[in-house]
Amino acid sequence: MKAAIRHIMRNRRRTTLTLLAVLIPVYFLVMMFGFANSMMQDMFDSVTRFDTGHMQIRAEERRGTGLAMPLMRDASDALGALASVDGIEWSTVRLDLPALASVGEETRTVYLRGVVPEEIDPISNMAERMVSGEFLTETSDGVIVGEELAELLKLQVGDEMVLLGAHPEASLGAIRVPVVGVFSAPEATMGRTMVLASLSTARRLARSDTAATAIVLRVDGVTGPSDTRRMDEAAAALRAALPAGYEVKDWLELVPFVTGYLRILTPMMLIMAVVFFGLGALVVVNTLYLSVMERTREIGLILSLGASRAHVMGMVLTEAGVITLAGAFYGALVGVALVLIVEAFGGIPLWGQMAAYMKEIGISPVMHMSVTATQVLLSAGAMAVVAMLAAWLPARRAAKLEPMEAMRYVE
Amino acid sequence: MSSSPLIQTLDVKKTYVTESVETPALRGVSLELHKREFTAIAGPSGSGKSTLLHLLGGLDRPTEGEIFLQGQPMSELSKDQLAKLRLSSIGFVFQAYNLIPVLTVLENTAFVLELQGVARRERISRAQKILSELGIEQYADQYPHRISGGEQQRVAVARAVVGEPSIVLADEPTANLDTATSHDLIDLMRRLNEHKGATFLFATHDSRLLDRVNRLITLIDGAVAEDVVQRPADARIEAAAS
Ligand SMILES: Nc1ncnc2c1ncn2[C@@H]1O[C@H](COP(=O)(O)OP(=O)(O)OP(=O)(O)O)[C@@H](O)[C@H]1O
Ligand SMILES: [Mg+2]
Repeated sequence: MKAAIRHIMRNRRRTTLTLLAVLIPVYFLVMMFGFANSMMQDMFDSVTRFDTGHMQIRAEERRGTGLAMPLMRDASDALGALASVDGIEWSTVRLDLPALASVGEETRTVYLRGVVPEEIDPISNMAERMVSGEFLTETSDGVIVGEELAELLKLQVGDEMVLLGAHPEASLGAIRVPVVGVFSAPEATMGRTMVLASLSTARRLARSDTAATAIVLRVDGVTGPSDTRRMDEAAAALRAALPAGYEVKDWLELVPFVTGYLRILTPMMLIMAVVFFGLGALVVVNTLYLSVMERTREIGLILSLGASRAHVMGMVLTEAGVITLAGAFYGALVGVALVLIVEAFGGIPLWGQMAAYMKEIGISPVMHMSVTATQVLLSAGAMAVVAMLAAWLPARRAAKLEPMEAMRYVE
Repeated sequence: MSSSPLIQTLDVKKTYVTESVETPALRGVSLELHKREFTAIAGPSGSGKSTLLHLLGGLDRPTEGEIFLQGQPMSELSKDQLAKLRLSSIGFVFQAYNLIPVLTVLENTAFVLELQGVARRERISRAQKILSELGIEQYADQYPHRISGGEQQRVAVARAVVGEPSIVLADEPTANLDTATSHDLIDLMRRLNEHKGATFLFATHDSRLLDRVNRLITLIDGAVAEDVVQRPADARIEAAAS
């Protein structure tokens, strides 16, 4: 042990190299975890808060509704069932209707989303999302639109919009409403197609006082994409309580593209880990081989004094172990420190194309970072194991030296 | 001499083979070495002195013949068993590069004891004791590169005897030393031989060192040319006194 530490101190340049070979992969992995976590959290927050909730109760899919959601003529039985289920933190009724929106000469297909403004305001943070004008109230008969749609329709707050309802299960209706505000949607597609109105306005277009398309829910205690167990439990309880004709869909089913991201994220992280760990292992093998070569005579001496092969192997592995532990520890430390520093400065703001792209996929253009202790330990632990496996080869080579040949070895 | 020899060799031959060149280094050596002997192997360069010492120390195996250490045939031992035997029964002093550079003099001396599994406190006290017996205790905390070649060889002798081996094998331990220092080192070994009964076998070129030995084996061309017992080991003190 003493000899191992002195060897480590003797050739500082090589020790530093080995240390970095362990440190850098750990550091990078912690950082990657940091970005990936916060990207996922960001997507989760913006999608569930603004659009899907954690899950929704909907009428069972029927044929013939096309892109529109199946209509619930009267959702009071579903609401009754909902009241009997524990662990639902928040719920609101919503009516989504495909519609044609015309302002002046311009016409676009849109989704008219009827909401209870007071209920969604605190969850979706609508006050902060407003770019101009005002958010809705329960009694207002106006609508608000995404900024992308406002640009496409060349509209200003105060303009009149004509909405032509096009839900295949509702009667055709047309209403004329004032545009009272423009908001910024978390995702560009939503911003191009979303028109928000009060539930009563939307029901006026559907010509029904009770119609709805979804009951949007938030589950108690769910804070991120990894809280799947609570969500699954709540979904199961709901399914059991609901009468026939309803179904429960969680956020991942409602926004399939996020599932896609989730699915490629893990293999991507794995590939990166393998590449980084592989490079780290190569450096460890190399520096340790050099160190063993350089000490051939010394190892020969130790062997000729009667040290067992296991002893010599243990010597080299101890040396590698000390460096590896230090590297893994400091790598994790530097990685976590970076995450904390980035967060202390409020994240890394993105600009230009990158920011636009992030908005396309529903991620805020400020990169945040966060890691869990498990991820840090996993990164450091996995690298330490890889490095020790890499150290095995040079250690075995040292143990297999013939004492006399090794003693004759000239550098 | 006492009845059963410490080491016995029976017609030991060693031929090195490198790239189809065969070098016969030993051509049939039969010897007996006894406890408490202080023996030198002399002979011209290439006569096989080092080869013989390596074979006796279990660092290499003979091509033919057998070596018995305390009656035990060494050819029957595995590589790991040979290592164990070296650790317990053989002390080595090489011509140079005897010490582990990253360990202090005291740690180098105690290293063999550590390998033997002696407890920490005991190995330090034993190492300190032998260093002071050899008059080098003041270097205990120095690293090898900070002390002279003669002092390094003394430390090597200390390390060779600290584990109380059956025999100390030294291959030209004085080759890199000046005459006075060489004499000092041989005297040191001789004192250990007389006072502690340690058995020494050392190879040397230097005929000036030979008056201190009680047995001189001369090798020529890989065979024993001469084997002279000069004085019985125990008679040395009386001879010096008279
Ligand atoms: N590893 C080896 N491979 C091949 N030949 C060797 C090897 N070691 C020694 N020899 C040869 O064996 C013969 C005896 O060598 P050895 O080293 O035993 O002689 P020596 O008496 O110790 O010589 P010196 O006084 O120069 O140390 C020499 O001819 C030498 O070249
Ligand atoms: Mg020699």
